[in-house]
Amino acid sequence: MENQIIDHLFRHQYGKMVSILTNIFGLPHLETIEDAVQDIFIKAMIKWRNQIPENPEAWLTAAAKNRVIDLLRKIKSENNRVERLEQHSESQAIEELFLEDEIEDSQLRMIFTACHPILDSKDRIAFALKSIAGFSIKEIASALLLKEDTIKKRLQRARKTIKNENISFTIPAGSKLQSRLDSVFEVIYLIFNEGFHSNNQKYLIRSDLCGEAMRLNQMILKKESLRNGAGYALFALLCFQSSRLESKQDAKGQIIDLKNQDRSRWYKPLIELGREAMYKSLSYSDYCAYHVEGAIAIEHLDTSTFDKTNWNKILALLKILIKKTPSPLTNLNIAFVLIQLKNFEEAKHILDSINPNILEQRKYLFYGTKAEYFQNTGDLPRAIECLLEAISSVTNEAEKNYLQKKKNDLLNH
Amino acid sequence: MLIFISEDYGDLGLSPEDMQQRMGKWFAWNDQMTKDGVTKGGHALTAEVRRVTGPDRTLTDTNSTELKELVGGYYVVSAEDLEGATKIAEGYPDYDLGGTVEIREIMVFEQ
Repeated sequence: MENQIIDHLFRHQYGKMVSILTNIFGLPHLETIEDAVQDIFIKAMIKWRNQIPENPEAWLTAAAKNRVIDLLRKIKSENNRVERLEQHSESQAIEELFLEDEIEDSQLRMIFTACHPILDSKDRIAFALKSIAGFSIKEIASALLLKEDTIKKRLQRARKTIKNENISFTIPAGSKLQSRLDSVFEVIYLIFNEGFHSNNQKYLIRSDLCGEAMRLNQMILKKESLRNGAGYALFALLCFQSSRLESKQDAKGQIIDLKNQDRSRWYKPLIELGREAMYKSLSYSDYCAYHVEGAIAIEHLDTSTFDKTNWNKILALLKILIKKTPSPLTNLNIAFVLIQLKNFEEAKHILDSINPNILEQRKYLFYGTKAEYFQNTGDLPRAIECLLEAISSVTNEAEKNYLQKKKNDLLNH
Repeated sequence: MLIFISEDYGDLGLSPEDMQQRMGKWFAWNDQMTKDGVTKGGHALTAEVRRVTGPDRTLTDTNSTELKELVGGYYVVSAEDLEGATKIAEGYPDYDLGGTVEIREIMVFEQ
């Protein structure tokens, strides 16, 4: 029998079911709901060993519907009212709540809950990955390169805040919607960057995170009332970056920098999808940092070799970006571009203005760029000194190897 | 008979992704055995354990979380001998979760 199940079906169905059941029973019961959904999948895992059902999705949905009654009994016995179900006859109400539109709407509510500004920004990412993307604590920890305990604490803190602050399971309206959307996009952007920049040795983990970020972004764009320029521009940016994901590391997990990437491996269909989204984004009046970052990304993607890069154009875009969202990392990028343009004086001026300590775990990037500066100005001893500094502050193995190799190349010069 | 002994799935904190992959492995194993014509049936067991012991028929209900080792199910397979059954048992997908397969021959009586 060749009955194949689509990739990530369980993971995505998990997010759907948790959302829909939360929409029915309310956020205070989230933990009970997550346990119930977990149990559905354990049952499915065991039952489907012998025979995978004709329509796996329908099987799972039916199982979730059956759980509604169990959950209702359980939650009612704790003296809670479940208003959405008390209005109609139960079975009719359950059918209505499981319509495709309702499921999508529930998932959006969950996204907006996860991105509530009252939650700590670190907790938002963990919560979103758990409740919407169906990641386990172990998977989140491994994806974010953190300890399982840290993730556990973040999830507990998020759930506690949601309960204590009595956060409602809704999509905000009016002027609140805009600022909440910004927060949603930020979380999506951060999840994506965790995947894109993490240099986790496992390609699978990185592409999973990037894929989930793109899926969340698509869910937002699917709903007309939530569309805006920022949403499309962010999606364009994610497409552009994703197209390079595979060429960033070799088969052994070693980093390949932009200069040495095989540009023929950049994935064209994603670049085209991104271009289309960027085009759509321009029909809205808002113009944000994602537009600029997208423009920088496409500039690289449209250039056939590193040497042909139009650094002047990229510099101009980075200067717009830094006005929109000042960040030491963008400053560092500006310094890097100035070095490529051989404008060493200004590059040095910017490097001197950055306090490497505010970059925290990305401190090594500062020393890496500084090494680039000394290498280009012919001061090899100091370039090596900076690389040593970078090596001592980097924690990631792949980054460390990359810097080591660079240092050895200079030593053998 | 292949008896599967491991921690209960519910206590392992598996993610939906893990479960889908594990299900796929079990399916493939089962599929292979069916093609080879060796399966004679089997069952998965729930994690609720009730024991009746002693002359007073004392009842104890045990929760799976208290047990690191639990019989989770069994398959009956046909094989030439213990070696043949061992070969089949090599395909069991849950060794990485600390699972064990106990291979027992079903007793055959002479007339």
